[in-house]
Amino acid sequence: MNKKKKNLLLFVLAVFILASGTAFYAYKEFNRKAVDLSDATAAHKISATELINSFAANETESNAKYLSQIIEISGTLKKMDQDEKGNNILVLGDPDSMSSIRCSLDSLHSLQEPLKPGSPITVKGICTGFMADDLGIGSDVILTRCVPVQQ
Amino acid sequence: MKQVLILIALFGCFTAAEAQNRFFTKTGKISFDATTSKSPENIDGINKNSTCVLDAQTGDIQFSVLMKGFEFDRALMMEHFNENYVESDKFPKTTFKGNIVNNSAINYTKDGSYPAKVKGKLSMHGETKEIETAGTITIKNGKVMVSATFPALLSDYKVGIPQLVADKVAKTAKITVDCTLDPLTK
Repeated sequence: MNKKKKNLLLFVLAVFILASGTAFYAYKEFNRKAVDLSDATAAHKISATELINSFAANETESNAKYLSQIIEISGTLKKMDQDEKGNNILVLGDPDSMSSIRCSLDSLHSLQEPLKPGSPITVKGICTGFMADDLGIGSDVILTRCVPVQQ
Repeated sequence: MKQVLILIALFGCFTAAEAQNRFFTKTGKISFDATTSKSPENIDGINKNSTCVLDAQTGDIQFSVLMKGFEFDRALMMEHFNENYVESDKFPKTTFKGNIVNNSAINYTKDGSYPAKVKGKLSMHGETKEIETAGTITIKNGKVMVSATFPALLSDYKVGIPQLVADKVAKTAKITVDCTLDPLTK
């Protein structure tokens, strides 16, 4: 009798632990935020021009290789765009070319002071795709949730 | 020689005049909302890197949005959106190509707010559908603000909603467009 009771108690305890574990996991998973990229390691390290050329040469292949990946890009800052809500977008690439890489900065890592166009810069971000130049305004590779990388 | 100079000057005038006719942005905002009264949370996302080009002369308007560029509050929702709903690996881009039907009623050189009727083709998830919507075009200090809200029936674009969450995700997503266009000088 005593042993049976003990077994039952153990069983109830096990179920309880399992259930609370699952609930905790589900809760964490449900509330999971997008990761902050400042500590993440980049899957690819590439220069701005190389990345643009890769997409311009073969979009499908580059999509398969780079989409959703964390990419570290180094290049020249063409300009810094700011939208009406204060989000910063760093435009990287060859200043003489219409094509560029547009990195929208993670709002948690907005810049204290504006960067000077023409200066070299390294940025880490998630590649979301390529906008081919079908509208006559230059083609762009888009990166989101970017963080500047200190050299 | 003089004639050549005049020709060059004339050509210069033409290109300068033409440059004023087109407006564009690469930081347009396009968001969607598929929340229903039974949704346990808001089902919405925003894309802040939308491209839009507007030709003031003809009223032609084009939008281009990368599906992976939609940002969500929850990482899990973003993954479900990309993997199960819009399948952004297969269909990375959504485009709209259309025309402002009442373009002649809009004075792009005078500040003000004008109602606009837009008609065109929306291509998403491998499907193309003809849509028509009313929006607003606001001219301010040489910039063109384009805003519109329209419904998109998900089944039109073959975006499937699993049976399990059928009453928690709206069958029609509300799409909101909010773009500020700068003159295209090139």
